[in-house]
Amino acid sequence: MIRVVLVDDHELFRAGVRGELAGLVDIVGEAGTVADAGPLIRELDPDVVLLDVHLPDGGGEAVIAAVAPERPAVKFLALSVSDAAEDVIAVIRAGARGYVTKTISRDELFDAVRRVSDGDAVFSPRLAGFVLDAFRTGEPLGADEELETLTPREREVLQLIARGYLYKEIAARLHLSVKTVEAHVSSVLRKLQLSTRHELTRWAQERRLV
Amino acid sequence: MTQIPVLQFQRNERDRVVAGICGGVADALGVDPTLVRLVFAILALAGGAGILLYFALWVWTGGRHPVVAVLILALATMGLLQALGVPTTVVVGAGLLVGGVVLLARRGATLRPGGSFFIPGIALAMAGAVVMLDHLGSSRHFVAPGALAGALALVLGPWFWQLAAERTERIRLAERAEMAARIHDSVLQTLALVQRDADDAPRVRALARRQERELRRWLYGRGYDGATTLADALADAVADVEEAHLTRIELATSGDTPLDDALGELVLAAREAMVNAAKHAGSDEISVYAEVEPPSVSVFVRDRGAGFDPTTVAADRRGIADSIESRVQRAGGSARITTSPGNGTEVELTMPRGGQS
Repeated sequence: MIRVVLVDDHELFRAGVRGELAGLVDIVGEAGTVADAGPLIRELDPDVVLLDVHLPDGGGEAVIAAVAPERPAVKFLALSVSDAAEDVIAVIRAGARGYVTKTISRDELFDAVRRVSDGDAVFSPRLAGFVLDAFRTGEPLGADEELETLTPREREVLQLIARGYLYKEIAARLHLSVKTVEAHVSSVLRKLQLSTRHELTRWAQERRLV
Repeated sequence: MTQIPVLQFQRNERDRVVAGICGGVADALGVDPTLVRLVFAILALAGGAGILLYFALWVWTGGRHPVVAVLILALATMGLLQALGVPTTVVVGAGLLVGGVVLLARRGATLRPGGSFFIPGIALAMAGAVVMLDHLGSSRHFVAPGALAGALALVLGPWFWQLAAERTERIRLAERAEMAARIHDSVLQTLALVQRDADDAPRVRALARRQERELRRWLYGRGYDGATTLADALADAVADVEEAHLTRIELATSGDTPLDDALGELVLAAREAMVNAAKHAGSDEISVYAEVEPPSVSVFVRDRGAGFDPTTVAADRRGIADSIESRVQRAGGSARITTSPGNGTEVELTMPRGGQS
């Protein structure tokens, strides 16, 4: 069973997730602040951390920064009610493997945790929209062409995610395997984290990450 | 709750010719004293009204004999009217009426509930009214009912006033209660969140925007007047449909652009597509995606519900043809519907950018 740590400052929300995921994953620990989350995650070494984008003493990216150097195998899945592109992009660039909104259904949440734990990327429709926007507008800053732009196929996959299609529906529509679709999304995630595109850096700077 | 204003003036001790009355009036009215003196002089030619008025005001400023002042004032008015050629009875009546009203005003009577009237003032005014009406009406039958009605109005007026005031107060209290409930439900909750997340500018901004939209809708009625961009207008439409149909709509956008007439139609068509999906698809989630590209704007509305066979669309689903397809086409765009039974429905709406008819 996948070992999960919950990091969210809303006690009620944590209780809700715990109840929903009971029996599906093993929730080994919970924290409500950046200060508590760092030591707890380093100690428990879970498979996946469900991470709120907003915490009382900092953003979710601060937790990733505190944990990642020592525990590179821990996967982070960002969870938020936020509408703001800069929040979401910031936590993804800090190293989260995906982003889902807090209104997500139980089955979808479990599926997302499972996929993140397998090393896949999980994009909500909203994140897909943000990413398409970020890679279309603004000037590429870096010299690495491959990192700075999305391939037509990646763009197509992201568009379908934004339109609400599941990976298997995308695979059927584009005559690809689900694995290939996942590979495209992971590739986008990598570009998102490594790219120096103006839009992405601007968003990151607003969160004082760079 | 208006009080009859009484001009407060005092004799002007410095700028005086006789007793400083004209100077005082000029001070009170804020005009040139010479002008006032000229008016008094002209009035003095009118049956001595100006001279009488001067004495009336002099006595008035003394403050000890208001009744005398009023009597002289009444005489002055009579003199003036007589000089103007008005019949004597009307002059006497008008004089009494003016005297009575001035006396009432002097005693601080108001029409407020619980306000008191100065009885001699009322008597004087009513006597004046009776004398005047007696002449004007040239019929004795008019006098008694007229006086009665006048008396009743004086007595019942404050009472009606009070009733009206109470009713206004009740309405005000009801409005206040509704406002309090609304503020508690939304604004206070938002303020609590804002305090907690005070250091998180983007989140505070987002909270404030949502609250603003909600309040604006409440205060100014519904509609999309508040939204100025495509993404905001779509978010409004999504919120409306979610609320009205208790469904969940996931909205994703890539890029944004200011709203114009054609895009307004696009939003309304997308809204109709959401309503259709909420009503007919039987799916628990609807996805809406808007993409702003340089040549065109596209909105996708998708559900994973029942779907339908487009070739056998029943008459009751004319909403698709009328509200969606022709609406978008009229505005210069196009609509494409992809569906089949059991496979959900996706409506794709596209609007070219840049001043389409």
